[in-house]
Amino acid sequence: MLEVRDLIFAYPGQLRPWHFDFSVAPGTCLAIHGASGSGKSTLLNLLAGFLEPLSGDIRWQGESLVHRRPWQRPMTSVFQEHNLFEHLDVMTNIGLGLHPGLKLTAEQQLAITQGLQEVGLAGLGKRMPAELSGGQRQRVALLRAMLRSEPVLLLDEPLTGLDDEARQLMRKMLLKSKAAGSILILASHDEEDRSVLADNVWNL
Amino acid sequence: MPESIRSSTPRHPDAPFSNPGWQLWPGLLLASLLLILAGGGLGALFWQAELPRVAVLWENRYLRNVLSFTLWQATLSVALSLLLALPVARALARQPCFPGRSLLLRLMELSLVVPTIVAVSGVVGVYGRQGWLTTLVNDWAPALSWNLYGINGIVLTHVFFNAPLAARILLQTLENVPQPQWRIASQLGLSSGWVWRALEWPALRPVLPGIAALIFTLCFTSFAIIMTLGGGPAATTLEVAIYQSLRFDFDFGRAALLATVQLLICGSVWWLASRRGMTHALVPGRQVAEQVPRKDGSGLRGLWDRLLLLTFTLFLIAPLAAVALRGLPGLVSTLTQSGSGGRLWDATLLSLAIAIPAGASSVLAALLVLASNGSTQKGIPGQISATAAYLPLMVPPLVLGTGLFLLLRPQLGVTSEGLILVGLINSIMALPFVLQMLRGPLRGLDIASIHQADQLGILGWYRWRWLHWPRMRRPFALAMAYATGLSLGDFGVIALFGSPEEPTIPVLLYQQLGSYQMAAAAGTGLWLITVLLAVFALFNLLGRPPATAHLREPEHA
Repeated sequence: MLEVRDLIFAYPGQLRPWHFDFSVAPGTCLAIHGASGSGKSTLLNLLAGFLEPLSGDIRWQGESLVHRRPWQRPMTSVFQEHNLFEHLDVMTNIGLGLHPGLKLTAEQQLAITQGLQEVGLAGLGKRMPAELSGGQRQRVALLRAMLRSEPVLLLDEPLTGLDDEARQLMRKMLLKSKAAGSILILASHDEEDRSVLADNVWNL
Repeated sequence: MPESIRSSTPRHPDAPFSNPGWQLWPGLLLASLLLILAGGGLGALFWQAELPRVAVLWENRYLRNVLSFTLWQATLSVALSLLLALPVARALARQPCFPGRSLLLRLMELSLVVPTIVAVSGVVGVYGRQGWLTTLVNDWAPALSWNLYGINGIVLTHVFFNAPLAARILLQTLENVPQPQWRIASQLGLSSGWVWRALEWPALRPVLPGIAALIFTLCFTSFAIIMTLGGGPAATTLEVAIYQSLRFDFDFGRAALLATVQLLICGSVWWLASRRGMTHALVPGRQVAEQVPRKDGSGLRGLWDRLLLLTFTLFLIAPLAAVALRGLPGLVSTLTQSGSGGRLWDATLLSLAIAIPAGASSVLAALLVLASNGSTQKGIPGQISATAAYLPLMVPPLVLGTGLFLLLRPQLGVTSEGLILVGLINSIMALPFVLQMLRGPLRGLDIASIHQADQLGILGWYRWRWLHWPRMRRPFALAMAYATGLSLGDFGVIALFGSPEEPTIPVLLYQQLGSYQMAAAAGTGLWLITVLLAVFALFNLLGRPPATAHLREPEHA
């Protein structure tokens, strides 16, 4: 269970701080929607550890995460864009998600190749991100997130701007991940994405 | 997705050197060591000698003259360099298609590393009594009298070195103005005056104090130019007076007093510049700007721009061409003669033996200081690394060298140990420039990449290996080339510690100039430039990224 308790955050000069309090069970998806500036991305950044809250707590399986650094939290983020290191090829981008020094076992390398096949990117492992379409880049990012097998996926508009085919494939991947027990926290403007993926919708 | 992979992936394997202490402490210790070395160097002079009264600075006529001349030539050099650099930078910004523009830009960047003593011999070849231009002007206007030696030559050579550097930084600043603003100015057909008021001046104003401070410091502490084109009580700077006190008068107290005055003046200038919000880089970047057609770059204005750029190109090329043309016969005869050729080779080997380790240690030190400065920019640690970064611009290398020599004297016995000291001081002197070259690329990671790297646990050595190194490779090689080049062309500390029997290339050149072997000197100057270009070419080659991908896709899948 992921629990967010009385989490308060404000940017410098912000008059009304945000206040978050909710919990999410494994194998479910919480969708968040709201106008621009309502705090969707801020919440995801707080969960990931990119921002530090003023007070409150984030707990995973009863253990506090609030003082843990991003790499020590059981989470992986997928943003709307800029998910890949532009100067590294697809294989390396995914490989770094499995080991930050790229010391991969043969089994892990095989998993990456099989994963690429599953998401329709077979043979594109040597391509640079700039040589991929937006949908392909997002699939690479999502594949990396899924191979990392962290129990919480933080999704910040990951399907925005994709064509229908890419969107369907991504949704399928996310549903599969949810069925495997992952928690999905999805910030999205798209009503269809929310209705397909979310178990609960939270309006900010 | 194979479940076995999902469960076997370790969450956060430890990256080597990922402890934040690794980022902070080595650089902080090094920066502290630099401050101690600088303080110790100066302190050793105070300790070794009786300090003269401060009043001697205005009571002693010679010192009074030295101080006022140093201030005067530095101020004049700053004013003239900026007066030339501003229109050149604007013309370059207006004329993106000027033929040979990129070559001119490279030439302007070279001014940082062209050895002063070589440039001086080129300047003499053009503007000296027998120089091309002087001869030409004398034919046309015999009434005009021109003497290169003294303030004329000193300021002219300072402008030769600093105007291109200033113009390159100013151009970079203009190119950093957001492109949409240039497009709007182009669409509105703004005149030159309005472009200046609306876009150029607001962009240039914040960087001018920093550039002025940089040029002032470089000219204030100028040594080789004053030694060759100045001299005598009427045209001596503090740096040369310090050298004379150390080398000929053995008056350590006076040297320490003069060095303190220099440190105070240059330090105050930098302090003033930093209060004005100095944000510019000492070394120009290499950004390719989008070309926006400009109304103020066409017509008569365009013609004027081209004329100015052509004149400026000639101003830069002429001394270097003089070195090449006059040097070629001398170099050929030197290389073919067994005695002098052997001396040149020995000097080259000695120069490289000092310069390459000096360059490497300067780059390594810069990386450590930047890492430390990046991990804490606040408080005393931040101040220590920031001060250490700029201190070498203000502390006279001669003072540093002599002070350290005095401190280490019981241990230093033979010439080779003095040469190690030369290498050490050269590496310290290159540090401010190397730091500026590496600062941008090292801090240039975008926030999205930083977040990703944090979340994926790409920390410490892994972050350097996968994220920084691919971006740093070229700047790293360029910084190595610059630092090695600065040391190769050094004619400062080596003048104090070098042995006349075992000269480096600049010392050999100075000896040849001093004994009126002009042909041999021109040849040695050309050789020094050739070695410098070879060093740049070599590091440029090493800095090229490999063409292969990092991770191969298994074929059996």
